[in-house]
Amino acid sequence: MLQKREKVLLLRTFHGRTLRIVREHYLRPSVPCNSPLCPQPATCHNDGKLLSSDVTHYMVPDWKVVQDYLEILEFPELKGIVFMQTACQAVQHQRGRRQYNKLRNLLKDARHDCVLFANEFQQSCYLPRERGESMEKWQSRSIYNAAAWYYHHCQDRMPIVMVTEDEEAIQQYGSETGGVFVISFKNYLDNFWPDLKAAHELCESILQSRRERENESQESHGKEYPEHVPLEVLEAGIKSGRYIQGTLNVNKHRAQIEAFVRLQGASSKDSDLVSDVLIHGMKARNRSIHGDVVVVELLPKSEWKGRTTALGENDGDDKALGESPSEPMPTGRVVGILQKNWRDYVVTFPSIEEVQSQGKNAQKILVTPWDYRIPKIRISTQQAEALQDFRVVVRIDSWESTSMYPNGHFVRVLGRIGDLEGEIATILVENSISVVPFSEAQMCEMPVNTPENPWKVSSQEEREREDLRKTHLVFSIDPSGCEDVDDTLSVRALDNGNLELGVHIADVTHFVAPHSYIDIEARTRATTYYLADRRYDMLPAILSADVCSLLGGVDRYAVSVMWELDKTSYEIKKVWYGRTIIRSAYKLFYEAAQDLLDGNFSVVKDIPEFKDLDEKSRQAKLEELVWAIRKLTDIARHIRAKRDSCGALELEGVEVRIQLDEKKNIHDLIPKQPLEVHETVAECMILANHWVAKKIWESFPHQALLRRHPPPHQEFFSELRECAKAKGFFIDTRSNKALADSLDNANDPNDPIVNKLLRSMATQAMSNALYFSTGSCAEEEFHHYGLALDKYTHFTSPIRRYSDIIVHRLLMAAISKDKKMEIQENLFSNKDLEELCRHINNRNRAAQHSQKQSTELFQCMYFKDKDPETEERCISDGVIYSIRTNGVLVFIPRFGIKGAAYLRNKDGLVVSCGPDGHSEWKPGSLQRFQNKITCTTTGGESVTFHLFDHVTVRISVQTSRCHSDTIRLEIISNKPHMTPDTELLQQCSLLLKSDLVKEVTRSVEEAQLAQEVAVNITEDYQKYCQTKGRSLYTLLEEIRDLALLDVSNSYGI
Amino acid sequence: AGLELLSDQGYRVDGRRAGELRKIQARMGVFAQADGSAYIEQGNTKALAVVYGPHEIRGSRARALPDRALVNCQYSSATFSTGERKRRPHGDRKSCEMGLQLRQTFEAAILTQLHPRSQIDIYVQVLQADGGTYAACVNAATLAVLDAGIPMRDFVCACSAGFVDGTALADLSHVEEAAGGPQLALALLPASGQIALLEMDARLHEDHLEQVLEAAARASRDVHTVLDRVVRQHVQEASVLLGD
Repeated sequence: MLQKREKVLLLRTFHGRTLRIVREHYLRPSVPCNSPLCPQPATCHNDGKLLSSDVTHYMVPDWKVVQDYLEILEFPELKGIVFMQTACQAVQHQRGRRQYNKLRNLLKDARHDCVLFANEFQQSCYLPRERGESMEKWQSRSIYNAAAWYYHHCQDRMPIVMVTEDEEAIQQYGSETGGVFVISFKNYLDNFWPDLKAAHELCESILQSRRERENESQESHGKEYPEHVPLEVLEAGIKSGRYIQGTLNVNKHRAQIEAFVRLQGASSKDSDLVSDVLIHGMKARNRSIHGDVVVVELLPKSEWKGRTTALGENDGDDKALGESPSEPMPTGRVVGILQKNWRDYVVTFPSIEEVQSQGKNAQKILVTPWDYRIPKIRISTQQAEALQDFRVVVRIDSWESTSMYPNGHFVRVLGRIGDLEGEIATILVENSISVVPFSEAQMCEMPVNTPENPWKVSSQEEREREDLRKTHLVFSIDPSGCEDVDDTLSVRALDNGNLELGVHIADVTHFVAPHSYIDIEARTRATTYYLADRRYDMLPAILSADVCSLLGGVDRYAVSVMWELDKTSYEIKKVWYGRTIIRSAYKLFYEAAQDLLDGNFSVVKDIPEFKDLDEKSRQAKLEELVWAIRKLTDIARHIRAKRDSCGALELEGVEVRIQLDEKKNIHDLIPKQPLEVHETVAECMILANHWVAKKIWESFPHQALLRRHPPPHQEFFSELRECAKAKGFFIDTRSNKALADSLDNANDPNDPIVNKLLRSMATQAMSNALYFSTGSCAEEEFHHYGLALDKYTHFTSPIRRYSDIIVHRLLMAAISKDKKMEIQENLFSNKDLEELCRHINNRNRAAQHSQKQSTELFQCMYFKDKDPETEERCISDGVIYSIRTNGVLVFIPRFGIKGAAYLRNKDGLVVSCGPDGHSEWKPGSLQRFQNKITCTTTGGESVTFHLFDHVTVRISVQTSRCHSDTIRLEIISNKPHMTPDTELLQQCSLLLKSDLVKEVTRSVEEAQLAQEVAVNITEDYQKYCQTKGRSLYTLLEEIRDLALLDVSNSYGI
Repeated sequence: AGLELLSDQGYRVDGRRAGELRKIQARMGVFAQADGSAYIEQGNTKALAVVYGPHEIRGSRARALPDRALVNCQYSSATFSTGERKRRPHGDRKSCEMGLQLRQTFEAAILTQLHPRSQIDIYVQVLQADGGTYAACVNAATLAVLDAGIPMRDFVCACSAGFVDGTALADLSHVEEAAGGPQLALALLPASGQIALLEMDARLHEDHLEQVLEAAARASRDVHTVLDRVVRQHVQEASVLLGD
């Protein structure tokens, strides 16, 4: 039975009067305590997350601790935390939505051992606030009282530690109840977690930055920035059209000066602004940081500025170049921030000399973020010197209007600058990718498959699933060396003469139950991350490479889509979806499949499945397989032709090819020539995705996860059109078909790279495909522009994409809905699904970025050790693909590098090329035209660079302490680079890429080894006071090390 | 940061769960000179209802209906009922609309055809408004009509319901109403499950309507249980007095 109480609040109205408000407050005899020690779990309704039972004490943080040290409470090592509702409300009211959401996520996350106790709604925990009692005192009193009640509720079996920052509270309550201890947070960490060094450091740095802030607010010097406008005014302003809302996007190359606001929401529709809004200068940016959702006020037209088109250097003096800015564009200033999207930032501490020059208070240090777009951050720490060679993670705390830079605190160390592991960790943090190894609890949910205890098909599943092991010839076609096979194909003739095409996808959802630990982890990762030299799997290897992977010759669970096709017209007659058991007969790779298709049977000996067969049965089996592959190709051709005839065509094929190109470069997976088998497999997958999309959309019109590709903006194609015109091609961009046709036509027989560049430009102009929930989009918007399909989703790779897992669950629910069975899994509602889609899209973007950045990292490391003046490999052929006012952008096909080459250097000298084509720097001027750029020296010589000209460039690396290294290109001749046999180079360029990764990795290992040896020597020297230099002992040790290395090299990998 | 109307643990601002009602207390027969009267408290919303009739038509005879009784409803809200003092107690648009809605509700519930050419007056005054005034008025008026002994098809039980974060909330308080989400008012004849009045003037996706309606109906049935108990207790008290 509820008890009614009343709370009286005194509020101040807008007019300044006080208002007496009476609110009801209902108390109940029991609220969930979520403790395993609860004597009556039934009356407490403990159905949610429980505290773990293996803790030594429960920790109850006071409101102040939750507000200030939430980051430390987020450590998974801290267990058994009971957040009192009073404390949570204090966070909500005083720390804003961001912090509160962090707390909510923490409570929701099953991996963190913490619960909420709704003490204010519990009959005997609730304490009304007394007259004259301050809010803070009342909160502490409530929390203590609730902690004491909780202790008694658990029958005094578990000591409770209340952690507070309030000295008085420690005095007052310290010895009131036995078993409930009240200590300060510092004390708590010292006593209970002396070994948790990271927490101590974080605590220190939070304390320090808070002290600093307090001091500062007392000082209060002149304002650096105007104050933000209050939220109500902003909202009213946005509605009335006075302000514009959008996301702040800082120009990476001119982070100090230029930022753009991409419009979003209603404001973009009704205002006549088409382009982004320029924010010029830090002052106008008014403390907003890249990625924030900001509100902008437009400046009068007379103050509008243009964007700069020159190649900028991040630290160079841009003004000296004196380039003319382009057309003025809408310019504005930030008046308020709606949502701060602050994350963890990787920074570098300044070197000692810089610290000294920074002067007066050495405790506050300006650190430089790795990301150019983030302003410098002020950190107060004592460890500046110790940390100066490391990449470090910091968080921003606040940015007062009185301060030039934001304040932050130090969180943790990633690794040494320039060290491979440290730099990779930097890339991961910058993309907010967290890939800790899978935990014990997560691995416990996994099936076992060891030689002693092999995984088997269970008899129950055997009954429920369609068994295709005997009836269907199932095989997979993948890149060679692929471990995670998530798709297989089958085709066979039915008794009535029709054909049956089947696509069988690994049944990951069978092993990954919704809301299990592994599911939560996979959802957070959302995708497998491929970096240049490694990958971070979404699912543990036991699933991704073993039990889920549809390997040859073993029984596996699958989810299948099977179509019945007409024998001649290949018309789709029927479609069947369901869970199956399959045994893949062959695990082919692309080249082998293509050879079989072409009738070249010499590859048969490379296929392991054929090895142990006698000649006769081998022949029969081979014929069966070849028939299947041929039929499959035939069907795929037909489906494709049909899509083409409907005015549809696949443009993503282009995109995919480019993406695969990149992947190939890294993994050496896909051969250069696209084979027809690729398209066959891709076509079958597209068909499966399309049909599954239709199915789940029909069953769940408001909560199906689909993928759409919005049509591109025409204005983005202008650069492409201009470039093509320079070569005499016309690109028609009005529809996807016209675009693809004209791209096919734009082929220069002398230079295949032109077409490749044009295609990549077209890809860049297009918007990204996105996942979305059908409930939040109009049906016309479902369209997939690239594939020209009305509905599309991702279904075929559940091992490496979380979206596919969701789609699998939706499909299973749709099947049981058809059978009028109870839907077991509670599906995501439209709102949750939309949230999830946003998360997955976000993670996909992070995956792409991290892949690109890691490739660049390896390129830089590769060229770093080479001397650009002497090394042959640093000189290469490049193609100009874009012209800027002070330079050109060059693509180097051999290494796949795109970069900028300056035609005018910092001293104002321009490139000039002699008759032999060799260039030197001379004083002169530059003149830019639409398709060419001319350098004229004072001597009257001039040289002109056209679009798509081949030039010779020298590649060097510009090292940077605070940021990632960048590749620098220097034009050394305006003639194409001549190598004795270009043919050969072309071929080996593929290998080069993977070699590059290998070489860098090896050199890093060597460097590490050398370093360890060096450390050893100095240690020995200090320890035994030996002569400096190599003792016989260390030499012998080293030889032994080398020997071990050799053995491992020859056996391993 | 806006108020969190429904926490992750499923508690509302005042500590109730989604489907729980506020505390209801009611008395019948609070005024001796009227034919029927009742007073109800739903949480902090307090309302007084008085019924006169059925009696002859007052004023112009032309308003008389040949086949049934005329139901006349007047709603007013005390100047001290809200946090900030109101200027006009009645006669403004909102009061008129409320009167009209009450009239529709009770025309559907009272067996008006038993009293042709006569009039029934229902006066409702809200003493304190804390959300769900329509529901409180209907419930008070039901008790008053019962007190007056006017034959009805059934109790009319009313309750409001709202929709927050995919969950339907029953019996909204003022704080929840002020947050601006959709609000639905339902007057139900609980025995038959017929709807006497259903009113909502906000946008709500039709997929969710069923859920909200279901919550409001369940809450109305809960209200019925309480009102039924009040009536029985009142009858018992009255019969004890009669017995003396």
